[in-house]
Amino acid sequence: MSTVRKWSLARIISIIILLLAAAISIFPFYWMVIGTTLNPNDVIKGVLTPGKEFMLNWKKAVSTYNLPLYFLNSLKIAVLTVVLGLIVNSLAAFGFEKYPSKARDKVFNILLLTMIIPQIAIVIPMFRLFAFMRLLNTHAAIILPAIMSPFIVFFMRQNFQMFPTEIMEAARVDGASEFSIFWRIVSPSMQATYASAAIYLFLGQWNSYLWPLITILSENMKTLPLTMSSVMGAYTIEYGALMVIVCISVLPVLILFLSMQKQFVAGLLGSIK
Amino acid sequence: MQKQRSYQSYLNRFGWLCVTPAIVLFCLFMLYPILSSLYYVTQKWRGATSTFIGLGNFVRMLHDQVFLQALGNNFIFMAVQIPIMVFLALFLAVLLNQEVQKLRGPLRLAIFLPSVTSLVVVSVLFRMLLQTNGMLNNLLIGAHIIKEPIGWLSDPFWAKVTIILAMTWRWTGYNMVFFLVGLQSIDPQIYEAAEVDGASKSRQLFQITIPLLLPVILFSLVTSTSGTMQLFDEPNILTQGGQPYNSTMTAAVYIYRQAFLVNGNFGYATALSYVVVLISGIFAFIQMRLLGQREPDK
Repeated sequence: MSTVRKWSLARIISIIILLLAAAISIFPFYWMVIGTTLNPNDVIKGVLTPGKEFMLNWKKAVSTYNLPLYFLNSLKIAVLTVVLGLIVNSLAAFGFEKYPSKARDKVFNILLLTMIIPQIAIVIPMFRLFAFMRLLNTHAAIILPAIMSPFIVFFMRQNFQMFPTEIMEAARVDGASEFSIFWRIVSPSMQATYASAAIYLFLGQWNSYLWPLITILSENMKTLPLTMSSVMGAYTIEYGALMVIVCISVLPVLILFLSMQKQFVAGLLGSIK
Repeated sequence: MQKQRSYQSYLNRFGWLCVTPAIVLFCLFMLYPILSSLYYVTQKWRGATSTFIGLGNFVRMLHDQVFLQALGNNFIFMAVQIPIMVFLALFLAVLLNQEVQKLRGPLRLAIFLPSVTSLVVVSVLFRMLLQTNGMLNNLLIGAHIIKEPIGWLSDPFWAKVTIILAMTWRWTGYNMVFFLVGLQSIDPQIYEAAEVDGASKSRQLFQITIPLLLPVILFSLVTSTSGTMQLFDEPNILTQGGQPYNSTMTAAVYIYRQAFLVNGNFGYATALSYVVVLISGIFAFIQMRLLGQREPDK
């Protein structure tokens, strides 16, 4: 029975279909790496064997397109958002979950309710607000609104629920302050939750496009997504150098994914905007 | 007793202390924008000054052919792309779940990989890939599938196809992973029992697998619909702001252009965004009903 099933026609067709799907999924990654070694014409034509222009493309990406600056801008924004976001959201989740009160539960429900509001609906009043605060064209404009995330508060609260309250009681008896219970006892035991939340926050900022597009006006403040989209809008495009930028902007996410697959998928779960 | 009560109120104060930073940020960057939009929506902007026009912005909208077309495009993308993607994702998940053993891990990884790219990267890659003299056309002509190059980015029909292709490439593996998790939580004994009763593979698929996966499928429909309703990055970069002839214009791109590129008319753009909120709300409501008040999985 099992040997018959092993080589049945249906099974062979299934495997071919899956391999085809895998090939289509991977192909653009292969192409973007090969593209970094080609001249612009060959990138567009679809040459699929490595060329010799990697160093030239790299130099163009660095000098013409200012890649290191934009990479650092993106990295700074993403890292600051992750650090501040983890502190603010985990503290809130802890407060909502471990210090039950009806008033706070009402606030929590309001937070959840706003999750269905699409980003495009609030960018206009947000733009006016940041213009009023004189924060347009700063990185603070990108970081500040992204720190607090109702989804992350919700996600972390669910996970704090699993932390036994008895342990907190025991720590209180031993004379631990409430803050040190959070900082020294509860948080360190929730590393997987923090990792998922960090990945979610990082991806949101690293990939963010609409809000930076609206708030960032000067060249030297741009992020990687803004750079890629403005390169695409130029009259002549150095496709090889563009492929270098594309690779550099995919790389950190790829590394995060390959090194922490489980937390990555958990972090992604909520990331469709 | 008195001491007990003051300890409780101390704990309560600490609870407020924990949530305060989040609430302050929430009020500033979510609540205030929502409330102030109630003012903007009644205003007509001329340069830096604005005048009250009540519901005038909503009246104007009724005659705005481009906005209606943009909303129509959102619905077309929803109606065509989501079913294709969900079907493909489900199909691949079922194949992965039953037909391969050793290859399952690597294949799942490969098919999921597009999810690590940002929508900007997807748009940039597909715009290079789909130039008229680009790789895909060369490939199709080389294989004698087409004679003339297809105008992926210049023909109104094919431009829509381009957006759908890019979205499908980006999101199929993502949805497949959730379906796969759902499939693996189904008890294999159910299939064994069906096998004993002589149920065919296709009957098992339609009468066991799909009904049991329904909650996951609905979840994927909910997130995909709300994502498609806000579609922005792809039409703004891949098809250069909804080109050609507004054939890939979406509500989000149009709102962005009205507010920040063309007119600087914040009031009108806010009114348009209210329509998007209303439609998203209706979809969310219907889907919540379908999910039957089920608690979120996480």
